[in-house]
Formats: sequence, C-alpha cells, structure tokens
Amino acid sequence: MNQPVAAGQTEIVIADPIAPGRRLFGHVLLAAATLLLVGTALLQVLDVAGIAPVGFLNWRPLLYAYLVWAVALGAWQVITRGYIGQRALFVLPAALFTLAVAIFPTLFGFYIASLDWNLSSAEGPHFNGFHNFVSMFHDAYYWNALLNMGFYLLAVIVEYAIAFGLALLLNAEIRARKFFRVSFLLPFMLSPVAVSWMIGKSLMEYRFGPAARLARDLGWHTPAFFAQPWTARIAIEAMDAWVSIPFIMILLLAGLQAMPKEVTEAAKVDGANGWQAFWRVTFPMMLPVSVTAVLIRVIFKLKLADIVINVTSGGPGGATDTVSSFIYRVYRDRSNVGYGTALAMFYLVLIIVFLTVLLRVTRHWTRSVND
Amino acid sequence: MKPDVYNRIMAAQANRRAMLKGAAGLGALAALNGAGLGAFTRPASAAAAGLDTELRKKILQIPGVGKGSPTDADYRKVGELCLGGTKQTVKEGELKGVELTFMGLNNQNTHDFLFRGFLHPWEEYTGAKINWIDLAQADYNARLQQAISTGTIDWDMLEMGAPFEGDVCGRGLTSEMPDWVKNLIDMDDYVNYLKAPVGTWDGKLYRVSIDGDTHNFNYRTDYFSDADLAKAWKDAGNKSEWGVPKTWQEVQAVTKFLKGKQVKGQDAYGYLDAPKPWGGFGFYFLGSRASAYAKYPGEKAWLFDVDTMKPRVNNPAWVRAIQDVIDALPSEPPNQINADPNETGFAEFLGGTGSMVVWWGDVGAAAKTSDSSVVGDVCGFSILPGSDDVYNSKTGKWEKLSSGPNYAPNLAYLGWGIYVMKKVDSDEKKKKAAWSAAAHLGGKDLALWTSAYPSGFQCYRNSQHHIDEWVAAGYDKDYITSYLDSQFNSYNHPNGAIEPRIPGIFQYYSTAEDILANIFAGKLKAQEGADQIAAAWEKLTDQLGRESQIKLYKAALGM
Amino acid sequence: METRLSTGAALEIPPAEPGISIRHVIGRVLIYGALLLWTFICLFPIYWTVTTSFKSAVDVTQGHIIPFVDFMPNWKGWGSLGLSPDTIFEISTPRTEFLSRFANSVITSVGASLLAIVLGSLAAYGLSRFKYRFGFMRNDDILFFFISQLILPPVVLALPFLVLYKDLALLDTRIGLILLYTLTVLPIVVWIMRDQFNSIPIELDEAALVDGLSVWGAFIRIILPIALPGIVAAFILSLVLTWNEYFFAALLTGSDAKTLPVMVASQTGSQGINWWSMAALSAAAIAPLVLVGILLERYIVKGLSTGAVK
Repeated sequence: MNQPVAAGQTEIVIADPIAPGRRLFGHVLLAAATLLLVGTALLQVLDVAGIAPVGFLNWRPLLYAYLVWAVALGAWQVITRGYIGQRALFVLPAALFTLAVAIFPTLFGFYIASLDWNLSSAEGPHFNGFHNFVSMFHDAYYWNALLNMGFYLLAVIVEYAIAFGLALLLNAEIRARKFFRVSFLLPFMLSPVAVSWMIGKSLMEYRFGPAARLARDLGWHTPAFFAQPWTARIAIEAMDAWVSIPFIMILLLAGLQAMPKEVTEAAKVDGANGWQAFWRVTFPMMLPVSVTAVLIRVIFKLKLADIVINVTSGGPGGATDTVSSFIYRVYRDRSNVGYGTALAMFYLVLIIVFLTVLLRVTRHWTRSVND
Repeated sequence: MKPDVYNRIMAAQANRRAMLKGAAGLGALAALNGAGLGAFTRPASAAAAGLDTELRKKILQIPGVGKGSPTDADYRKVGELCLGGTKQTVKEGELKGVELTFMGLNNQNTHDFLFRGFLHPWEEYTGAKINWIDLAQADYNARLQQAISTGTIDWDMLEMGAPFEGDVCGRGLTSEMPDWVKNLIDMDDYVNYLKAPVGTWDGKLYRVSIDGDTHNFNYRTDYFSDADLAKAWKDAGNKSEWGVPKTWQEVQAVTKFLKGKQVKGQDAYGYLDAPKPWGGFGFYFLGSRASAYAKYPGEKAWLFDVDTMKPRVNNPAWVRAIQDVIDALPSEPPNQINADPNETGFAEFLGGTGSMVVWWGDVGAAAKTSDSSVVGDVCGFSILPGSDDVYNSKTGKWEKLSSGPNYAPNLAYLGWGIYVMKKVDSDEKKKKAAWSAAAHLGGKDLALWTSAYPSGFQCYRNSQHHIDEWVAAGYDKDYITSYLDSQFNSYNHPNGAIEPRIPGIFQYYSTAEDILANIFAGKLKAQEGADQIAAAWEKLTDQLGRESQIKLYKAALGM
Repeated sequence: METRLSTGAALEIPPAEPGISIRHVIGRVLIYGALLLWTFICLFPIYWTVTTSFKSAVDVTQGHIIPFVDFMPNWKGWGSLGLSPDTIFEISTPRTEFLSRFANSVITSVGASLLAIVLGSLAAYGLSRFKYRFGFMRNDDILFFFISQLILPPVVLALPFLVLYKDLALLDTRIGLILLYTLTVLPIVVWIMRDQFNSIPIELDEAALVDGLSVWGAFIRIILPIALPGIVAAFILSLVLTWNEYFFAALLTGSDAKTLPVMVASQTGSQGINWWSMAALSAAAIAPLVLVGILLERYIVKGLSTGAVK
C-alpha cells in the first residue's frame, strides 16, 4: 500500500519489529473484511438483478460493509506494519472517505457524458460515444464562455494585489485592528444569492441604487452597469471580488504575521526603502502562501456561476457568461444532461491540465526566487 | 400568476378625484376590449348564478379589503369556511394515519405557505397529515425533471403549471381524477381555455386548476390623455389621434415617438421589452409581441407546424416581432438590455418608468395595491394589442382581415394546478386523501378568495367575474371592471394563442432566449438569429423524438 | 482629503525632525484613509441589506439610505418571517419554516465542518510529515487528488448524486448533506492545514518521540494544541462555505433536511422581489457567521500564522 521513502531530512524513522503471528492476524482480519465487502456487494448485485432475492431495501448494507472494511484496512496497516502503518493511518481516512463519496459520482458522470440524454426525451438515454464532444467544438456559446473565463481569471491578479495591499495595511501598526479585521472579513460571509440580489439588483439598480446615484454624481449619466459588455463584465467581477478578496486577504495576512520581524528589519538596515524591502524580502517570502491562496481562489473562480445567473443571465449577448453558468443552463433549464456533463468533463480536463502547469510553473518560480 | 387587488382600495375610494384622472384611459379601454372581439357576456349577478353568496361574502371579509395582508390565521379561517366539499365526501377522522408529501413553490412566502393554511383545517377534520417540499421558482423545472428521470419522485401531490403536463402526465405519472372530485370542483365553471384539452392526456383528466394565466396589456392613462403629447404627436405629422395603441404597429410608433420626450418632468418611454433571459419565461414576452402576427384565426398552431414540428419561429411573422424589439430597444431606457420581466413589470412600470408593458395579471393587480407602485391611479388594462395584418403560414402571405386588426391574446403558461401522482393509486385511502386535499384547494369559493387577496393566483373561473361581489367586498367598480375584463376577455377569446404543452417546452424557450439575447445585443440579425433558433429547435425535437412530439403536440392542441 | 492637507500643513510647523514627522503623518493618514475606504466598501452593502429589512417597498424603490432621516424603519421584513414584535406570538408558517431550516443549516454546516477538520487535519499532518507512495502517487499527487475534488462544477453532479443517494437512502437526510459538504470543503482544509503543519518545526515531533510518545501521541498531545488556532481558522472557512451552499441543498432535500439558502432564493419569484423579507432573511442568515467571525477572528489570523511560534 504505502512505503515511506528512505528517510529524508524531515523523516523520522523508528525501528518497530513485527512478530510473524501478529502479521498473520492482520492479514486474516483484512481478508475477512474484504470477503465481507465483496460478498455484500455480490449479494446486492444479485438482489437487484433478481437472481437471488435477499430483500435489501437499499444499498446501505454495502455502505456499512465498506465502513467495516475501511476500519479493517486501517487496523491491518497498524498490525502488520507497526510504526509505518500508524503513519498511513493519517491519510487513509480522508482518502477512503473521498473515494467512497466521489468515486461513483465521478465515474457515473463520465458515463453520462457519453450519452445522448435529454431528460424530456421520449426514448430516454442512448449511447453516442464522443458525439457530445464533437458538438461541443461547434458550440459558439461554450467557447464564448471559455473566453470570458480568461478575463475572470486575469482578474484574480487584481484581486490578489488588492488583498495583498489590505493584508499589509492590517499588518501595519494600527489602532482598532480587530474592528478592521472583522469588517474586512464580513463580505466573505454573505451568500452568493444574497450578494446577487442585495448588491447586483438593489445596490447597483439603475434607478434607485445608491451605486448608480453615486455614479451619476460622478458624471456618468446613464449608469447602467449591466448594459454594455465591458461594464457588465467588470461589474460582475467587482461583485465576485468583493466576496472573495477577504478569503485571499486573510491567508496573506496570516503569512505576513508569520514572517520573522528580523528579516524586514535587516533589509531596512541594509538601506532599502519600504518599496525595495517589499520586493526584495516580503514578496518572495510570501510566495508559498500566495500560491496557495491564488490557487484556491482560481479554482473557485473557475466555478463562478451564481452571481452571473442571478444578475445578468450571462448577458448582454453572452458578455458575462461563465462556463459554469452556461452548463447550468444546459443541464438544468434545458435538461440536456448528457451534453451538459460532457461540457463539464472537458472543462475538468482543461482545468487539471491548467492547474498542473500552473503548479509546476509556480513551484519552479518560487524556488528560483527564494534560492 | 397572481392578483393582489385588495389593498388601499379604501384610500382610492376616498380619493375619487384621483380615480377620475384615469377615466379617459378607461374609456379607451372599453373601446379596445370591444374591438375585434364581439362583446362577451358577463354573468348578471352572483346570486343568479346559484353561488353560495353568504359564504362568499363572508370569506371576502377575511381580513377585509384594505385591512393589510392576510395572515396565517386568516388562511386557516378561510380554509375552515370552505371545507363544505370535504365534509360532503369525507367522514371526520376517516383519513387518520395517512401521510402525504406535497411539492410546490415557496414563491415569496405564498403558494405552499398558503396551502398549509388552507389545508390545516382539512388536516384536523380528516386526520391526514401533509409534509411539504418548498422549492424556489428557479429550481422547479430541474428538480421535477431530475426526480422523474432518476426515479426519486418523493412527493404524492404536485403543484404544477400546465406546460409541464407533457413531461409528467404525458408519461403516465399522474393519477386520473375520480368522478367524485369532478363533481366537487365544478369544472364547467372554468374559463374556456382551461377546459379540456388542458389538464387532460389521451382523454383522461388529471388537473385541478387553481390559477389562470394570460398576458394582458397594461398602459399609463396619463400618457395617453396628455395634451402636450397629443399636440406633439400631431406636430410630428401623425394622422391618427393620440391615444392608447391598439395594434403593435401603433405601439412601435408611439415608443419611437416618445424617445426624448418628457412627461411630468421625467423622461418618457413607451413600450418596455424584457430582453434578458428569465429561465425560459422571457420567451413568453416575445410570444406576446408575435401572437397577433403569427396566430391566424381558425388555425390552432402558431409556434410549430402541426404535422412536422417544423418551427415557425423563423417565419416572417416571428421575425417581424423580433425586429420590432430590435427597433424599439434604442427608444427604451438605457439599461433595458439587462431587464428581465421582473424588472419591466415591477421595477420599471410600477415604479413609473415607461408607459406600456405586457405581463401576467400580477402587474395590473399590484398597480393599486403594492406600496412600491406609483401608477395605481393612472393605470389602464386591455387585452394584448392586435396587428393590422396577420401572417397566414399556409399561403405564406400577409393578410388584412375584413373584420379589422387581428387580436390573439397570448395565454401564456396556463396557470398552476394541483396534480396527484399515480403512486398513490395503490392505496385507496391515500388516494382519497390526496384527491380530497386537491379538491379542497381547487374549490370554487376558495378561488374567489385567492384572486381577491395576495396569493400568487388569479381568476380562472367564470364565477369570479361577478363584479357585484368584488364591489361589495370594497373594490372600486371601474378599476376592477377594467382589470377583470382584460383577464376574462383574454381567457375566453376565440383566437387565443394556446401554449403547446409538449415535453421539454421550456427547453425550447430557454434555447431561444440565449440566441435572442445575442440578437438583441446586436450580434445577430433578426432573420439570421431566428434561423438559428429554428435550427436549434429542430435539433431538440429530434433529440426528444420527433414522432412522439408531433403526437403530443396534436394532443395538446386537442386535435 | 481636507484632513490630509491640513494635518500635513500643520505638521510642517514643528522644527524637530520635520522630514520624518511629515512623512510619518502622511503615511498614517494614507493608511487610515485606505482602511476607512475599504471598511466603507465592505460594510456599506451589509448596512444596505440590514436597513432594507426595515424598509417598506417605497423606501426601497426610492433608494433611501439613512433610517429615521430618509425613511421610518418598520418591521415589515421581519414581520413577513413572523419575527417582528407584533407577529412573534402568532402562528406563522414562515417562522416555523425559517426555524426548522435554520436548525438544519446549523447541524449540517457544523457537522460537515467538524468532520472535514478531523479528516483533513489528519491527512494534512501525514502529508506534511511523512513521504507516502500509493502506487504511482506521491505526496504532491495525493494532495492534488484531494484538490481535484473541488474542481468539477457541482451542477453536473446532480444526477449522479441523486442516483447514489437514492440507492443509499440518504436523500433528504442531514447525514447525507453532511457527507457531501464534507467532501466539498475537505480539500481546502487539507491544503490550509498542510501549510500549518509545515510551519511547525519538525524538531517538536522528534522531541516528543524521544520522550517516548508514539507518532499519534506526538500528534495529539504536542502538535495539535499548537495548531489548534489554525484548525479554528479552517473550521470557520468551512463553516461559511457550507452554510451558504445552495445547489445541493435544493436538489437533495425535501421536507426533513431543508436548509436556509433555498428560502432566501424563494423571496424572488413571479411578482418582483420581496426586498424586505429577502433582506431580513439574508441578515438573519449572516448573523451567526458574523458572531462566529467576531468571536473567533483572532484565531484565524493567529491560527494561520503559527509559523511565528518558531
């Protein structure tokens, strides 16, 4: 299952001899649990197929058998491998849990992606291979949404910059720090539905919204935030940024506070001004936590949907549409689940490739900057 | 979808002068309703129609027009008083032990919340218990479709709009209405367009109606009696008199004329389009612009060819409607491109922006009663505008009818109904409970109350058209007459445009909305976009099964 | 602007160290100016939401801002939920609904966050301290495996989860929602907690082991207390995300496990928007989170900066 690699600098290794009898017991335990799991699964399948009617009400027995098996697997690790097994016990619960909850939906999702399945269809689903993916390449609305995602992703850089600025402010010697911290954190707590309606449709309303009136006072006579493609995009992004900046900010602030004071002071002694000290010392040291914050933010950004659905429905003319909001329309409003799932699966692959590259690049970059 | 014509009527009555301001418009309204229709007969009085006038009078006093919003206690009181039908058919405590699950909407704390109140005395009397699944409107379609396809139908009773009947009743998922229920709810009283084939599939009856829906035309009487505008209209070289538009051609002309004008110191606007997608529902608003062009008298279909399901959405009639929106948008408010029907009806029209809007009865009802409405005294109603010429898709030519403009009210959505799922049929007691509850909600007297108070439901029975009852309850006569006439004259119109209740109808609408959004944003020409919609619809029909769609379309039209 | 100019001008007068002083004061003014500006940006929409819950329709459509000056506050929004002084003792379906949904929201979000914290912290500690190899998967791959659970747009998981939950009889159960929510926040917990443990010096573990503790003993007795504030931080982030989850709540619940966000969305429908009740619901929904934020905010920052322990 897992073998710790030869101890590196951060590895602790303890000799922990295992008696043969103990090892055998562990193997038997696991074998029994596996048998129980496979047996239950088999019985359930036979029951559903009508070959051996056991009379299960649902698939819960399999769930329980899986739980038993998972416990046995953990025990087996500890019993047969001692100390090394104890280490495996840290990651096993989360991994087994994720597998159990996610594996079926993911596999079933890939299966649905290969179907021509419209929920209203008289004939029901039927297999059509990669046809959904072929249709996708001719779907101008999907590509338009993907293009928009480019803009939304680039905007993460701006969000990051603002969040960094705010974190620096909160990290400075200021009074009422707690008040500011809590205030800055609050937008993150509002639900997207509430944000869409209370801000997008009320605060930014063309006629009575305070934001529109402010814009009029500032000289924009027709402050229709969502009528032109670029203003609409920026307005949507502003709302999303408003909600999300606190998340990035709080991670960065934590990073800043963790930074040893001596480092920045040393830089000052070297004669660097604030600006230079920031770029030479603070920023490089903040890179790892920045990567975490930005990556999580990017993932959330890639799923941006609620605000767009509620405020603009992707308009005007698809200018604010996101991939998720488009899939939402295909999957829910049009019940075209086969095609909608295919769109999402392609998106998933695209994101995984993108993230892998991003991770590699940032890791490389982080190292080269910090070395 | 709802009328809440009740509040502030007392205030309005005290202020007769304000009411008179709208008199000119109401005159025009009366003339318009006559046009092209022939006069519809309205029942002379409620008593003469054999209604329980005492009971009806009593429930209309709960809590009393102008006495604030009804509370849960009021719902229960009304439900209690209207329990007569239940007591006739169910013995006290007869249904003890039955548990039903009801799925419906929580539409701004009405719908399901209202039913809870109405059914509370029913539960106490029969002994049955009801569990509730409340959905937000936006989730309704997806929840329904996904539950059906994954076999997770977790409800016994369903509140559903007629457009979904193809998906649900067409698949045999609903229980057929027992005869004793038919007797209880007096279906002969339904307005014409809600009678069969609506509610039926293959001749079997499934639906207890609780609501009627149609688009009507709401306009500002002060605009169309404004002397300055009348003069400017003449000065602009118009030969016709300044007045309420009766055709879409006139709506267009007035909308363009009003651009840049001022009324009472505010920017004047004409018609308000709703170009922003609204989960498929936005397509109804193009439909209302198109029905007078596309619905040829005597022919039932107007959206598809009946024999082939070939879309008509790219025929000259529909393209003209689309082009009308494109032409009108520059004359509408600056943010109009991001306006959905909620915006046009409630934020704009009731807020005093724009002078003409098409909506379900809700806007007209709220005009007087809603606190946010500033147009209560200057709001007039009629059926949808007509068209000087109508497109005959058989000959491919535009025709001028000898009878004058062609009118074709868009009977959009057909209202909510209560349906009982087939899965209760196996249990006689449960079946009886479900149908008894449905009949209670679909009762004749309850209907009067829901249409008179804020409920989310509108008139759907001819017995709700007795003006004397409304006036006795405290409504202003002119106002309620013009409002109800605009509703009933649409419902009973001989050339009403009926919705195709085929499976997946909202998929057609939703697909169209996406493309229309691009047309209205200037990315596509009208014909080009309409052709794209037609192509997408053809593809969708093939995916859903063309043969079965044709069959169900014919069934839906009662052919 | 004015204050900045005047203070700046005033500060040119003291002769002693004028350069530093002026720069210092301008810096202060800039810092506080920026802080106040952003505070306004953060708080105004929330202020708008809360005040809207006390407005009648006309105050909303005329964009009134200041209570008692622009408009007279009333209880309409709260009354529509049965939570105003005059309705609190009457029967109210919305209130019953609100309370049962509120309770379910608390149970599911707290339950899921706790479960995610337990599973996520364990995994994060393992990934931070040991090198694993599951088949081809190394530590980074395992981490990425967790993260990848976060990527798929939830909407396409509707049918799979419906089918799965139907077969496991988990539809409309709180435990079903808890399991699903745990899955959605687990990746974030793992990631944040791994950073946490990475910043705790490994010498502490080694010392504990030398003292005779087992690996698990060292984790629970030595490392966990140090990382506790970080755990609280991750807990709060999870809580916010699960508290506001709408999509699966609407899909997988019926009458027993229903949560709050669906009710917020129900305030808009076919008749415009009930601004006041939506505002009241939003305000009521955010209140517990704000409370948690105020009480535990210091842990978020302290927690994520355990590195300072070094």
